[in-house]
Amino acid sequence: MKKRIRHKTILLMNISLLAFGGAYAGANVTGSYLYNLSDFGGNIPYDWSRLAVDRERDEVYVLYKNYINVFNSSGMQVYTFGDDEYLGHIIDVAIDRKGDILLLVYENTKTPVLIHCNFRGVPASKKEISDLYPEFPGFRPNRMIYRNGNLYLASTRQKKIVVTDPDGNFREGYDIEPMLELSEEEKKKVIDIEMIGFSVDSDGNMLFTIPVLFKVFILSPDRKLAYFGKPGGAPGKFGILGGVIRDSQGNFIVTDKLKATVMVFDRDYNYITQFGFYGLRPENLVAPDDIVIDRDNRLYITQGRRRGVSVYKLTYD
Amino acid sequence: MRTLKLSLVIVAAALITFGFYGTSQAFHSGGVAECGGCHSMHTPAPGGSFLLVGTDQSSTCLSCHEHAGDTGPSSYHISTAEADMPAGVAPLQRTPGGDFGWLKKTYSFTVRGTTTTEDGATHGHNIIAVDKGYAVDPVNATAPGGTFPSAQLACNSCHDPHGQYRRLSDGTISKSGAPIIGNGSYNTSATPAAGQAVGVYRLLAGAGYTKDGITFNGVPAAKTPSTYNRTEATTQTRTAYGVANTGGHETWGNWCSTCHPDMHSTGNYVHPVVEGLGSTIATLYGQYVKSGDMTGTLASSFSSLVPFATNSSDYTALAALAVNNDSQLGGPGSSDQVMCLSCHRAHASGWEYGLRWNMEGEFIVYNSLYPGTDTTPTVPQFARGRTSAETGAAYYDRPVAQFASYQRVLCNKCHAKD
Repeated sequence: MKKRIRHKTILLMNISLLAFGGAYAGANVTGSYLYNLSDFGGNIPYDWSRLAVDRERDEVYVLYKNYINVFNSSGMQVYTFGDDEYLGHIIDVAIDRKGDILLLVYENTKTPVLIHCNFRGVPASKKEISDLYPEFPGFRPNRMIYRNGNLYLASTRQKKIVVTDPDGNFREGYDIEPMLELSEEEKKKVIDIEMIGFSVDSDGNMLFTIPVLFKVFILSPDRKLAYFGKPGGAPGKFGILGGVIRDSQGNFIVTDKLKATVMVFDRDYNYITQFGFYGLRPENLVAPDDIVIDRDNRLYITQGRRRGVSVYKLTYD
Repeated sequence: MRTLKLSLVIVAAALITFGFYGTSQAFHSGGVAECGGCHSMHTPAPGGSFLLVGTDQSSTCLSCHEHAGDTGPSSYHISTAEADMPAGVAPLQRTPGGDFGWLKKTYSFTVRGTTTTEDGATHGHNIIAVDKGYAVDPVNATAPGGTFPSAQLACNSCHDPHGQYRRLSDGTISKSGAPIIGNGSYNTSATPAAGQAVGVYRLLAGAGYTKDGITFNGVPAAKTPSTYNRTEATTQTRTAYGVANTGGHETWGNWCSTCHPDMHSTGNYVHPVVEGLGSTIATLYGQYVKSGDMTGTLASSFSSLVPFATNSSDYTALAALAVNNDSQLGGPGSSDQVMCLSCHRAHASGWEYGLRWNMEGEFIVYNSLYPGTDTTPTVPQFARGRTSAETGAAYYDRPVAQFASYQRVLCNKCHAKD
């Protein structure tokens, strides 16, 4: 009888696993809305802007229409630059440990260059990307992240990542596409299989989403590729993926543009919670996309509908 | 023990059925996509419709088909995010249908003391996508030449979001029947075997598809290269438009006239569509190279700035023409047809009325330069507020040397009055 009960327990556990996608019994995580990034005129109506975080100085950078706006830890704009035409078309921004600003720029909208600026955004040096990485000819990055002394340049369309030192000198390169182990059918449409979200965690793992596969991928520095995610409307399943980052607890934080939510998964990819949801109230989200996190576990999330950048605070029980 | 085995079997079966990696392909795959990609069973938009989470249908489409952070033409994106279009920077996508981002590019310029504003809304079809900043046409209450309400215009006005229309193995179009095995739009798409079907070109609306008082009578035939969103700086992207009007098909002109009936030349005194070019026009098309240069040959005369409909309903033949490497540059025969898309892009373009070239001045190239506020400031009527980079982008990055030093409008590709 005892054995029978144990077997029934296992059966119930397995059914629960299937029904709830492996509900997590660990720490609860709560996302609470704080405010939107603002200036003295109120919320700034960005629409799917680009974000970068300066963890050393608790500042957040927003790139929008070639302007870079800097916000303090209270979400108020404190500085802006980028309107100089000679800089070219700014695609992404990163901040190194010293507070110098790195710009990924396309000159004449064609040639990618890395511009090293001082903390005021005044250019000090410039390097052409194509000169730097002969291993990846034609490399056209559109994302750039500084983390732990490394600069990560990603081409989400080409599905390639290059790691350099802060001066842009090559350290490592990753060609993602062969790692995906695509089916023959998927290979026929590989051009549509595009990375969208991109970030780097504190251990140097590179995180990205591929919406048409409904998956979050985790690429470790030693080239091991893990992934999780399934399509669906139930909590913990994905509609249209946006960005992905990891918090200080190792949880994965994922935005879903279609469901208008921020989803939290633990380090074993178990779904924990979601928050945000579609709506026009301040705490709601519309088409959330890019996401960054500061060292105080504040999430900064870009949205559509010119709703700007919403800031949430993660707390843990 | 039997219970334990049963439970493990259930788990294993489920994992096999649903998989860890999944079997998702490129989402639509010629037919109805992953339901959860557009609808939410449990968290739809409050007060919304169809269990969509986006504010409206087009916003839902653009959740995927627009992406902030692009640096150039990118796969299935058909709209450039506002964040990526600062002043002086053109929209980035180069699909045959054009980039909806042009609708947001409003230009002002001053000629002889008079300032003119060219509203971005004049650049194409004003789809309504509230989440992405696309609003109703501010001028036309209905489709020009028709009654379709502008306030209802969305991606699904022309495209069947569920992709139900399919091309069967016998070439006919049906809304049901044989299962769709994949995309049917590309030169590389599979040919459906007996008992199979492929999706119709671009999931376009077919016979019986009704929206806000208008009903389509069939789908038009075409094929496009599998890599279609690309610069044409070195080679052209040739979409092979066909002529088919039986078996669930409709010609391109008739299909467009579903919403724009008074623009169609049947019964209306307008430029002909759905008519053979005739030998005179076809010959001129073949000879025309650029203003003042009629030395071309028919075999290399195709221009994606002035495409025509090949008089064929044979998808295999159309697929052979749909290339992006300039290996198929043959011009038209006398029975090939002029159509709406010969002059207009379906989504939007860099020019008024979604035209493929600037019709608002006599020169589209001036002094061997693309007109721009930076290159031709003394003749602002040709740049119309654009930078030369934006003008070049509107011509899909063709080297300006492909045109005459003082190139006239491309009506002349067929009419050769320059």
